[in-house]
Amino acid sequence: MNNPRILAALGDPLTIAIAASVGLLIVGEILSPGFAQGSQIVRLLTIAAILGIVAAGQNLVILGGREGIDLSVGSMISLGAVLAGNMMDGQNSGILPALLIAGGIPFLIGLVNGIGVTFVRIPPLVMTLGMTAVIQGGLVVYSQGVPSGAAAPLLSAFINQPLILGIPGILFVWVAIALAMVFVLRRTAFGFAVYAIGSNERAATLVGLPVPLIRVLIYGLSGLFAGLAGVCVIGYTGTSFISVGDQYVLPSVIAVVIGGTSLAGGAGGYLGTMAGAVALTILQSVLITLNLEVWARQVIFGVTLLALMLLYGRQKKLRV
Amino acid sequence: MTNALEAVGITKIFGAVRALTEGRLTVGKGEIHALMGANGCGKSTLCKIVAGAVAPTSGTVGMDGHDVRFRNPREAERAGVALFYQELSLIPQLSVADNIFLGRELKSGLFADRKAMNRRAAELIGLFDGVSGQGLTVDAIVGTLPPDQRQIVEILKVFAQDAKIMIMDEATAALDGRQSQRFFEILKAKKAEGVSTIMISHRLDEVFAVCDRITVMRNGATITELDTAATTRKAVVHDMVGEVRAAAPKSAGLSTDRPSLVVKAARNASLRDVSFETYPGEILGLAGLQGQGQSALLKSLFGSEPLTSGDIGFEGKSLAIRKPSDAVMNGFAYVSGDRGRDASFQGRSIFENIVAALAVRNRLRIIRPAALKPQVSKVAADLKTKFAGLDMPIGTLSGGNQQKIFIARWLATAPKLLLLDDPTKGIDLGAKADLFALMRSQADAGATILFYSSEDSEILDYADRVLVFNGGSISAELKGDAMTSVNMTRAAYGDAA
Repeated sequence: MNNPRILAALGDPLTIAIAASVGLLIVGEILSPGFAQGSQIVRLLTIAAILGIVAAGQNLVILGGREGIDLSVGSMISLGAVLAGNMMDGQNSGILPALLIAGGIPFLIGLVNGIGVTFVRIPPLVMTLGMTAVIQGGLVVYSQGVPSGAAAPLLSAFINQPLILGIPGILFVWVAIALAMVFVLRRTAFGFAVYAIGSNERAATLVGLPVPLIRVLIYGLSGLFAGLAGVCVIGYTGTSFISVGDQYVLPSVIAVVIGGTSLAGGAGGYLGTMAGAVALTILQSVLITLNLEVWARQVIFGVTLLALMLLYGRQKKLRV
Repeated sequence: MTNALEAVGITKIFGAVRALTEGRLTVGKGEIHALMGANGCGKSTLCKIVAGAVAPTSGTVGMDGHDVRFRNPREAERAGVALFYQELSLIPQLSVADNIFLGRELKSGLFADRKAMNRRAAELIGLFDGVSGQGLTVDAIVGTLPPDQRQIVEILKVFAQDAKIMIMDEATAALDGRQSQRFFEILKAKKAEGVSTIMISHRLDEVFAVCDRITVMRNGATITELDTAATTRKAVVHDMVGEVRAAAPKSAGLSTDRPSLVVKAARNASLRDVSFETYPGEILGLAGLQGQGQSALLKSLFGSEPLTSGDIGFEGKSLAIRKPSDAVMNGFAYVSGDRGRDASFQGRSIFENIVAALAVRNRLRIIRPAALKPQVSKVAADLKTKFAGLDMPIGTLSGGNQQKIFIARWLATAPKLLLLDDPTKGIDLGAKADLFALMRSQADAGATILFYSSEDSEILDYADRVLVFNGGSISAELKGDAMTSVNMTRAAYGDAA
């Protein structure tokens, strides 16, 4: 047990998040036999996938440093869900336009976030919180406060029904997104630049990297991922309402942090974030299984999150 | 008659660094006293000790015949010592009057007496009447003022304290000739009132025109105290330099037919009409006291502090360099002495730290570590960098080895122009030697090198030719037999050789 490699792996956030997931599954199984059976795990992973897609964007924003955080992902998910619902209106032919519009418009709004943060130097917290208010106001006007639109049957099936080997399509999409994220972060100039500006923006400028462009793009991508998650949300629930995305804001940040990405930026990666999303989803599910009142569940969830933040927020040592 | 200030046997040790070994400073009442010496001789530390900003390791400071021991600048202020800060103490959002009286507001009863402060501030501004230019009023917001007026506000802040001893460290750096003239007239008037001034200046002519006595420091010790009237510029320069050193002999054979870099009338906030040429294979040293435009020139050539006017030509082409990527694309490389701030991707691997510039230069979209690692290992090995593996975090290396990595970062791009901005700061002797050997081999391979060092001896030993900077412009070009420590120091103090 004194092998430094093994010790390092034990201290690795990815390992811890996976261990926590397994531990929570066991707790769930003890509390409620059947909790950890195959179909139930697939169900949990489906919910985790939606969180994981939002967290992919959040991951990029946080990696990019300068206090990077995107609090507008909640309203972007709602926007994506409402737009997708109206584009599809229960028709399979509407799926492609829905993806384009529900991904494209949040992407553009994300670019505006990026421009505000980068060029006007508005702190990300304030910029994205302000943008949340703008999007929510816009959504009220757009939807007249009444939910409308519906998911296409094909989309609902893709997310809720088994596709191959009992696994729904969305999980394959999540794996594809994960492969893309890992490739972009580890093997492309863009990914290198994200780490570089998060680690030391001044040094990044001094090697000639287009720092402002990268940062604007990061926020745009966060909007894109949130919009696409919105499409998944309406596929999952069938209908949408204008605050459907709110519940994802804090978990998207926490999943990234649990996964070992430094809130200071410049270190971390997406595999950890995936594990973080899974662990958080199982935790939520365990709390439901306990049959607690809603308020008690929220308090326990909130305290757990803050405790995790305390643990991980202090971790200064950065991963390579 | 007792002296206004008598500091004796002052030493100061910062960790392993002996900043002061034998500081001595005696200033008479109503005397303007120059404190002179090369970079790092300890004059700033000595001033900070007198002003209470730094506590001495040993030694005594006396004022008007009484021993004093200041625990902080506030106590020194109350005892009548006022220190001039180079722009660092002004609050840009506040008015001129508010800045002048910041922390020592005039009061009537419990409340700040705004009327009295405005009246007094107007009187002080009146001292520079006719030379301060438009817009310097009590209500003007300091952040909106040009640099010369901000510096005047800094000066007025010192005057407002009605101190017994004023410490003016490079107080005229941003002033024009008439403003400096007025400043010295005011000092002379204060002198008649019995106020003493300790002046640090980068101009030898100013010192000889204004100061009564001179204290010369070298390597952390006071070398001599002189009456200005009884000495010469040459003698002062010799005291500052100590043992006269000539440049190490350089290989001849430098082709000066076609210049590689041609800079004409370069100007920005820190540069005033800088023009020069360099040749392929040449190591051009930039010397002078700190902050006279050497770093600013390198940063402007690299686009991080672009020129406001002037021309940069390289290999016969005129270049517009507005940002670092413009410079990188033209084959320029910039190595800063401030590694942590300017170069280090902390927490990232050695490989990533090296490959960053190469990725930009070669416009790589996809980065294949397996394909790049042999090349990266080779540049790191050429520099004799010691590391366990390319995947280790950069923070696992010593300062010297980190600096080698940041140089390797640029060597991987095969740069044609190397801009070295005090690159040996804080690295060990072995690493320095490796770095100098590398500089020469790069030059021999045809690169052009601009080399700024805050240590004159490094420039004497390794540069082929020297440009000495003073107040943002070139005060002398030294080469061949003229490249000596004496000439460099004279030129650093604005005296043409």
